[in-house]
Amino acid sequence: MATTEDKAATKENVSSWKDSIYNPRTGELLGRTACSWGLILLFYLVFYCFLAGMFALTMWVMLLTLDDNVPKYRDRVPYPGLVIRPHALDMAFNKSDPPKYAQYVKNLESFLQRYNDTKQESNEDCPPGDYFMQDDAPEKKVCRFKRSALSFCSGLSDTNFGYSEGKPCVLLKMNRIIGLKPRGDPYINCTVKKDNPIQMQYFPSEGRIDKMYFPYYGKNIHEDYVQPLVAVKLLLTKEDYNKELAVECRVEGSDLCNNDERDKFLGRVTFRIKVVE
Amino acid sequence: MHVNIFPISGFVQDSYNMFEMDGEMEKKKKKKIKKKEKLEGMKKEMDIVSNDSYNELEMRYNTSVTKGMTSTFAQQILERDGPNELKPPKGTPEYVKFARQLAGGLQCLMWVAAVICFIAFGIELSRGNLTCFDDLYLAITLIAVVVVTGCFGYYQEFKSTNIIASFKNLVPQQAVVIRDGKKNQINAYQLVVGDLVEIKGGDRVPADIRIITSQACKVDNSSLTGESEPQTRSPECTHENPLETRNIAFFSTTCLEGTAATGMIINTGDRTIIGRIASLASGVGNEKTPIAIEIEHFVDIIAGLAIFFGFTFFVVAMFIGYAFLEATIFFMAIVVAYVPEGLLATVTVCLSLTAKRLARKNCVVKNLEAVETLGSTSVICSDKTGTLTQNRMTVAHLWFDNHIHAADTTEDQSGQSFDQSSETWRSLARVATLCNRATFRPDQEGIPIPRRLVVGDASETALLKFTELTVGNIMDYRNRFKKVVEVPFNSTNKFQLSVHELEDPLDLRYLLVMKGAPERILERCSTILIKGQELPLDEQWSEAFQTAYMDLGGLGERVLGFCHIYLNEKEFPRGYRFDPDEMNFTTSGLCFAGLISMIDPPRATVPDAVMKCRTAGIRVVMVTGDHPITARAIAANVGIITEGSETVEDIAERKRIPVEQVNKRDARACVISGGQLKDMSSDELDDALRNHPEMVFARTSPQQKLIIVESCQGSIVAVTGDGVNDSPALKKADIGIAMGIAGSDAAKNAADMILLDDNFASIVTGVEQGRLIFDNLKKSIAYTLTKNIPELTPYLIYITVSVPLPLGCITILFIELATDIYPSVSLAYEKAESDIMHLKPRNPRRDRLVNEALAVYSYFQIGAIQSFAGFTDYFTAMAQEGWFPLLCIGLRSQWEDVHLQDLQDSYGQEWVNIKMCDWLGTGFLLPPCLFVCRNRVLVSAIVFQLLLGNLLCYCPGMPNIFNFMPIRVQWWFVPVPYGILIFVYDEIRKLGVRRYPGSKLKFITSLTIFFLSITLSTVHPVSSH
Repeated sequence: MATTEDKAATKENVSSWKDSIYNPRTGELLGRTACSWGLILLFYLVFYCFLAGMFALTMWVMLLTLDDNVPKYRDRVPYPGLVIRPHALDMAFNKSDPPKYAQYVKNLESFLQRYNDTKQESNEDCPPGDYFMQDDAPEKKVCRFKRSALSFCSGLSDTNFGYSEGKPCVLLKMNRIIGLKPRGDPYINCTVKKDNPIQMQYFPSEGRIDKMYFPYYGKNIHEDYVQPLVAVKLLLTKEDYNKELAVECRVEGSDLCNNDERDKFLGRVTFRIKVVE
Repeated sequence: MHVNIFPISGFVQDSYNMFEMDGEMEKKKKKKIKKKEKLEGMKKEMDIVSNDSYNELEMRYNTSVTKGMTSTFAQQILERDGPNELKPPKGTPEYVKFARQLAGGLQCLMWVAAVICFIAFGIELSRGNLTCFDDLYLAITLIAVVVVTGCFGYYQEFKSTNIIASFKNLVPQQAVVIRDGKKNQINAYQLVVGDLVEIKGGDRVPADIRIITSQACKVDNSSLTGESEPQTRSPECTHENPLETRNIAFFSTTCLEGTAATGMIINTGDRTIIGRIASLASGVGNEKTPIAIEIEHFVDIIAGLAIFFGFTFFVVAMFIGYAFLEATIFFMAIVVAYVPEGLLATVTVCLSLTAKRLARKNCVVKNLEAVETLGSTSVICSDKTGTLTQNRMTVAHLWFDNHIHAADTTEDQSGQSFDQSSETWRSLARVATLCNRATFRPDQEGIPIPRRLVVGDASETALLKFTELTVGNIMDYRNRFKKVVEVPFNSTNKFQLSVHELEDPLDLRYLLVMKGAPERILERCSTILIKGQELPLDEQWSEAFQTAYMDLGGLGERVLGFCHIYLNEKEFPRGYRFDPDEMNFTTSGLCFAGLISMIDPPRATVPDAVMKCRTAGIRVVMVTGDHPITARAIAANVGIITEGSETVEDIAERKRIPVEQVNKRDARACVISGGQLKDMSSDELDDALRNHPEMVFARTSPQQKLIIVESCQGSIVAVTGDGVNDSPALKKADIGIAMGIAGSDAAKNAADMILLDDNFASIVTGVEQGRLIFDNLKKSIAYTLTKNIPELTPYLIYITVSVPLPLGCITILFIELATDIYPSVSLAYEKAESDIMHLKPRNPRRDRLVNEALAVYSYFQIGAIQSFAGFTDYFTAMAQEGWFPLLCIGLRSQWEDVHLQDLQDSYGQEWVNIKMCDWLGTGFLLPPCLFVCRNRVLVSAIVFQLLLGNLLCYCPGMPNIFNFMPIRVQWWFVPVPYGILIFVYDEIRKLGVRRYPGSKLKFITSLTIFFLSITLSTVHPVSSH
């Protein structure tokens, strides 16, 4: 008996560090028995399950308090941003090399699918010039914005949106914000930071955004809502090719913010374009 | 000049050779010798020639004991040996000291983190991601924290000045030297070995000198040996040990009395005793403080966990499908997120606060980390003189009327006095008053008697103060008994007498009073005063006297006998010419009045303090330069040797068996003198320290103190001391404590802590504060650790389920370094658990600052709850702004896409470039009234945190600088349920701990409230619109 104990003692000295990982005599793994480890794991299982449950419960309660149609707080999005299509702030292409601009064309084409005249036929033809208020209506109607209104930039007559001729179209849209009602007469104006201004063509005319497209009621009840678009056709001339042009577009003529110092996309957008001959 | 050419020459043994060898070796010694060897060499007892004859001295040094050296030869020696001054050791360059401050455990961790940040930043940069400067900011902040705290520490160290500088102050400037037979005054540094110098009362001894001639020369060795009494110096060699022999006076000691003693210089400069102590003190390395060790251990844990977590999530990220480079960046970010940025500052501030608090209680801490050391201390090696005792001789006992009476020895005379009604007492008091040459310095009426300055030696001072206290108005009393003649004390007759007229003008007798060594006094007595009656001094009374004498001597007290006689009126009429040299009057057949014994009594607060140390599990060991008997008596008095404890010798005596047969383990107490210690091996010393819980070391040299401290140093050792001789031990100890009033500058500089009131009891305060800060640091660290998880999980979730990043790096830095510092620090103000001084000192190997249980509890339990609280708040805020939880998952890439300026939320709104969403609130909290009464500082900390948080949140302009956005007040309340959960959870746990005491988690009890507070964290999305 004594000898075995002695042996065990010497063995312990030799393999004490091994024992700290696995001790075959007590069955301890990392200093704990399987039973102890089991209890600990069980404790943490119960503990974390409880926490997760509590988390789920609070989330559920919180979601119950939310309105389906209107976010609880809207202070973070007081003014809409302005974005362009095609979805690129740096455009560069060779007008005589179709694969170079195909992506932009494709992008515009797919973007305009929702504005197809056939689709828009089913939408309401709202009275222009005023807000289209329908607060009390359970089903919110959508004001019609036909693709054809974009004329040369609709992609209907010129499927290349002018890219092939070196006079590309860029679509501008204002971000959707629930309940937004811009005052005044908003329109889009683009400028090029360059000595001699570039001719631009706006569709609809003068880049107007009609007030009938406001307000927006949210994705659930205003499902097919389409934003009004403004297309800008840059009428580039020969001397504008092979140069990088910085174009800045702003929403003008309304109370919408377009000169925030920190946010360069609030009511305005700047993009660069370079057309190679 | 009378010169004794042949003093007690004794044996001219090896010491001569040893010295020569020593000298030669030192010449040969080049600087290459390893420091350690040098140290070992110094630890050995020094051999100084104390018993050579003058001839030998003259021969060796080529000098003359009458004429001194020749100037030219002295010049040669000066060139050979160098000037007689203490060389400062090669100091560590300042930049090395500063660098050391930047290389602690936590600091290293932060350096590594900073480097990782730079690497991550470099990787990001090379990938063309120019917008992400977080890593760079983080790296810079980390470095800034290290450097700022490093400067703080460096400043602390800088304040404690160079040790050797204080030794320099001890060195005399000028010395009178005899060269070429002429007396000259020269600068002390020009002295060389063999020079003949002259010293007189008030001078500092200019080098180690062998006394050649002296008259009543006394030196104050207290700073060197700890003896509180002045030591006589005379030409005779009285002891082999150079420190004990009377014919050597040491460099830097002060000559108190005596006129023009001459001596020959035998050692100069760094070869003197004080020089060796100086180099010993500067050669001894500082031990690593326990708190530094603990912090390193903590860093190990942190680093281990960081790498574990980092690697796990690296694997997870790879598994999810991230690119290798991205996964590597995640790995780095996780590792860095583990670094508690604020902890270094917190620890530093906590320690400084405690240091400040200690300073208010008369403990000045020089080295910040030493604040905690005292709390971990398990052995205190205390010096006796001045620390345990009052450092002033006081009358302790009187023997008269065959009774030992105890006098009041307390500092403020608050103790009980003895019965003073006996006629014998009046006679004894009269003798003690009259036969005393000591006088008070003038103009001290306002000062309490025990503190008045006195001109006179220690025992006469004691008697003067004693009689002033008991009899009163001594000067007037002496005037009434006009002194006729006086014979001062000398070492041959060992008594002092004076003859006085009586105060009654009609009584024409003279009164002869005498005091001296008791046995000498008794020899001269034929009668003894008992209750005012003069009884013949027979065998019985002799025996009674012997018993009393032995008893008092056994108490370690210095005993004086007192006797008197009324001189016969006829034989000695008025006007009789008393001759003090001839002693033409009766000096025998006197009447014995009594014995008075004196001791340097323990301070009143010391026994209680020693008791407190004992209950706190701290062992107090006395290490003194004083005599064993005195040391033992004081030790018994203050409780270092407890009642009923016996030494081996006591047991031997009780059982009447030889000392060798006593089982050493039976003896609790042990008194070891320096002589015995010299013959002991270090194993024997360790054995002795292990076997005897109550130890007293007497007659120890500085080297031996060092050896004792080293032997104790398995555990954490505090050393107290005041003398120059203590400085090596003070330096060597884990914490050296010097005395502020009595302490020499050398001791103060070598120490880590200074007791301004020289009171041992202050150490107990230090221990208490040290333990408190250790406990409170635990809490601070637990707080920091807990915070770590809710700071880390957002990132982990960000990686794994790709939600928008809830908590940005800059925000974490703000939480760590701004809002959360004060609450962490306020934990330093936590009150002590009531039983803090009843626990044993922590075991440095087992009771760690951060242990497994604490880490697990903080990380996986409280930290987990907090993380859930944070996520609840995060998802709530997101959902209320329009981003439902399910939408959030997987949103990361779109969220961070700078080209995507119309990201749709759950309501169909389109958002512009929502770059950031910061979970700023981890530290922002509501102060629930729950803990208002708990800790006032904490409340202010929370208010501070709220204010700062609000400032960061709501101050206009902040969004532009840090991208912080004002958060909704409602969101502050979202985590409240989790706060309650933590509170309840911890209460349940506490209940468990109470029911099953001894649980490892006990100490976290008081953390509840902090966890509660921090759980009230909030989330808020920050967007740049």
